[in-house]
Amino acid sequence: MAKTMVIHLRTGSMMSMDSNVAVKLARAALEKGYNVRLFGYGEGITVIKEGQDPKRFPNVGKEIGELVTQGLTVVVCETCCAARGIHRGEEVKGTNIGSLTNHLSKFVKEGDKMITIAR
Amino acid sequence: MADSILFVMTKPPYGFEEFFAGARASLAMLASGLIGRSTLLLTGDGTLNAVATQDPSAIKMPSNIEAINDLADFEGEVYCIADDLKSRVGEVEVIEGVKLISWDKAIELVGEHQMITTF
Repeated sequence: MAKTMVIHLRTGSMMSMDSNVAVKLARAALEKGYNVRLFGYGEGITVIKEGQDPKRFPNVGKEIGELVTQGLTVVVCETCCAARGIHRGEEVKGTNIGSLTNHLSKFVKEGDKMITIAR
Repeated sequence: MADSILFVMTKPPYGFEEFFAGARASLAMLASGLIGRSTLLLTGDGTLNAVATQDPSAIKMPSNIEAINDLADFEGEVYCIADDLKSRVGEVEVIEGVKLISWDKAIELVGEHQMITTF
């Protein structure tokens, strides 16, 4: 039975390479056969915003959209989204706006390992 | 499959949102009914969140005391490294329910929990 890795991301899609590290970890884990769940909390929710268009840096939103098609599960905190003015319908296709109680707890329950990426 | 999670709190109160966010995440684990044990461990500057006389009303921030009390309502445990707190503010009263412990006990807590995250 495949193991499950949980990535708990709390930094945003820009201003640091943390979200890129999360994407690289997710990709590598998927290639190794892990189930991978990414939960965005705080600034980490920005990775699911559709329409990101960085001119000189990796496009995290686009990469996450690609990984979703390869099996990555992505959920971000609804309260954190509302605080930042991001609403349902604005997320990258295949990602979800959810909650700590309904989703992060489920990820923790299902998880074999959890990695926290934060500043 | 995990049934326990330890939240290691390292950030001081009110200049950051981490403690409140972490306490809420810990509460969500218990409220979900999926995770049997969700524990806060206050270390370093994070021990300042245990000070009983804190009053955030002047700066209109959410109360960390309320966050800790909410956890207690769900039988969440809160531990604080006594030496770290004392080295910052001397002997002070801590919020009711917060247990002052040594680093030896903290290591035991690490061993007792299946998942660990930091805030």
